[in-house]
Amino acid sequence: MNFMKRGILGITRKKGKSLILLAVIFILGNLISGAISIQQATGNVEKTIKERLGTAATVDLDHDTLNNMPEDEWMDFEPEELGVNLIKQIGDLPYVKYYDYSMEQWMGSESIEPYQGEEMDEDFMMDEEDEIPFQLKGINYAPIIDLEEGKATLTDGRVFTDEEIENGTAVAVISENLAAENNLEVGDTFTLVNNVYSYDYDTDEEDIVASRDVVLEVIGLFDPKSVTQESDEDSESNMMFMMEDPYYQNTMYVPNEIVIDETNYNWEETLKADDELAAMMKEEGEDASFEYYEPIYYLNNPEDIEPFREEVLPLLPELYTVISATDQYERISGPMESMSKLAKYVLIVAVAATILITGLVVLLFLRDRKRELGIYLSLGEKRSKVIGQILIEVMVVAVVGITLSLFSGNLLAGQVSDTIMNSDDSNQSEYYEGVYYPELESELTTEDVMDSYEVNLDASYVLGFYGIGLLTILISTVIPLIYIVRLNPKKILM
Amino acid sequence: MILEAKDLNYYYQDGEQRRYILKDTSISFEKGKFYTILGQSGSGKTTLLSLLSALDSPHSGEILFNDEDIKKIGYEKYRRNNIGIIFQSYNLIPTFTAVENVLVPMTITENEIPSDKETVAYNLLDYIGIVKNKADRLVNKLSGGEQQRVAIARALATNVELILADEPTGNLDEEMEQEIIDIFKRLAHEHGKCVIVVTHSNEIAVQSDQAFRLKKGVLSSYE
Ligand SMILES: Nc1ncnc2c1ncn2[C@@H]1O[C@H](COP(=O)(O)OP(=O)(O)O)[C@@H](O)[C@H]1O
Ligand SMILES: [Mg+2]
Repeated sequence: MNFMKRGILGITRKKGKSLILLAVIFILGNLISGAISIQQATGNVEKTIKERLGTAATVDLDHDTLNNMPEDEWMDFEPEELGVNLIKQIGDLPYVKYYDYSMEQWMGSESIEPYQGEEMDEDFMMDEEDEIPFQLKGINYAPIIDLEEGKATLTDGRVFTDEEIENGTAVAVISENLAAENNLEVGDTFTLVNNVYSYDYDTDEEDIVASRDVVLEVIGLFDPKSVTQESDEDSESNMMFMMEDPYYQNTMYVPNEIVIDETNYNWEETLKADDELAAMMKEEGEDASFEYYEPIYYLNNPEDIEPFREEVLPLLPELYTVISATDQYERISGPMESMSKLAKYVLIVAVAATILITGLVVLLFLRDRKRELGIYLSLGEKRSKVIGQILIEVMVVAVVGITLSLFSGNLLAGQVSDTIMNSDDSNQSEYYEGVYYPELESELTTEDVMDSYEVNLDASYVLGFYGIGLLTILISTVIPLIYIVRLNPKKILM
Repeated sequence: MILEAKDLNYYYQDGEQRRYILKDTSISFEKGKFYTILGQSGSGKTTLLSLLSALDSPHSGEILFNDEDIKKIGYEKYRRNNIGIIFQSYNLIPTFTAVENVLVPMTITENEIPSDKETVAYNLLDYIGIVKNKADRLVNKLSGGEQQRVAIARALATNVELILADEPTGNLDEEMEQEIIDIFKRLAHEHGKCVIVVTHSNEIAVQSDQAFRLKKGVLSSYE
């Protein structure tokens, strides 16, 4: 008849009260388990979607804040430049797997033709008159991040060496299709033209005022197709990639120094040709550098984004901010966020209610039994063991109640979230007004988010619910236990 | 001396005044004797017994069990290992059977108990007059006299030498009362226990080996 056995007898000999307690815990347990189910499900969605969104991040002016600035303030605002030093400093943070900061430049060519795509509709055809169809993408990270990230695969040749990057050697990695189109192989050279245009605002005419050739050697070929593999089932997003395809096919990776050189040449010649513009630039006191970088950072894990953001923000000049690929989650998460929030509130309320109600019910039952408890104390039982007995009684019933509600609450959560998601489908706007960062964008949509939502009965939910449930019940016994500690057996028994 | 109380003082604060229930009370008890403490209602009998059974502590004075201060032993420990208490209102656990009630202190005490506790409990109950089929009944299905016997068996279950009883026959009729008193006599005289009973009944007092009278907080010998 030790305290554990007494606890078990306490349950079986007072079936009515045990059942009442069981019912209370079961009902409240359903709320808790339902809320946890939904939380877990939304949490999983966030995790998987963010994983799919990737770990890319950049720093840029905070366009949201800029757009909301009063106009006079906005006019006076002169953004500070992101220096290469700062970009590198950020890149050296431990969260960063690799990073790059590229300049881009569009160029034309007389010796090679752009790749037009195979069996494309008219709509997708590139503008015949496009005189600068080739995009040069400056590279500082020799292995080329796009290849590392699987946006393309290297099919022939090699990537850059560090020396080539440093010296701005005239080499390029171009797409397989572009090479085939022009009978180019690794080791061949080709020529691009850097044309400097002047623009006449009155006549709306463009003139070539200067021009120089850029001769590049092909050192590697890439195939961008691998990107679409991930989204094979989704025909809609395949289309999107086909649309982007020609641009990427005509993109050339070159050492960034080359792009800097060509950009500087272009600007200098433009200013020579345009006195007005030159005068204006002088007045404004702009230095002669036209380097402008959009850095791109790839972090080790999606979870690193928040700590990365926290460390980077203080380093940035005024009005700059960190933009990450996972920011897109907020835009496509749809009803997921509101459901997650709702579940959180339900959970808090349910836990509070459980602590209060279970605590009061147990207290009420204990008051009925104070003579029994007094007897144990008069027989010299330690208060800790009396408390232990009551804890056993409550916890055994709680485990049964919680186990029952584990399943029913999970089931309930599935039903409830189906209803919420179906009712919230309608007002989804796919349109996003904001700055578009191609490096950070993914083809994921709200639909993908919804599709990956699933109320599961997995180990983490089971453990989470048992943990929270039992802890809640344990806390709810605090008030009754204080009551036991204060019991005076003399007053009760004599 | 198995139990000795020295200069006990116990009072209730009545405004500025202290109303003494026990004033410099000293008393001592030996093994093998059946004692009664006689007093009218409100004279402080329960108070005295609660002090002797360590359910309450005096404002001053000390209580020695086998020459050791029970404070030093520890009240809880003293209760679980050294004494058996019997109350006027039985104080059994209503959801337990008679034998289960007797088993409870056996698992609480640190005293040596034969390993077959259940047999011990049945034998004890049998000795006190509760046969097997009654021993397996829930105690609230037993008569008052039977319940008090179960309570006595419970007090004896931990194999203690000191039994303290607060008006143990207060709720019983005369016939029952005499049977309970006979049990107490047997425990003292045949088993060498020290039995201390507080009562307002003269009939009980005259049957004891030694009787005290408690009046206005003062103890005196009663002849
Ligand atoms: N909590 C209390 N406050 C004040 N006086 C009390 C309290 N409890 C008991 N008393 C008084 O103490 C006296 C002794 O009580 P008690 O020991 O129970 O007497 P008895 O058991 O002999 O009837 C009584 O006069 C009673 O009124
Ligand atoms: Mg009394």
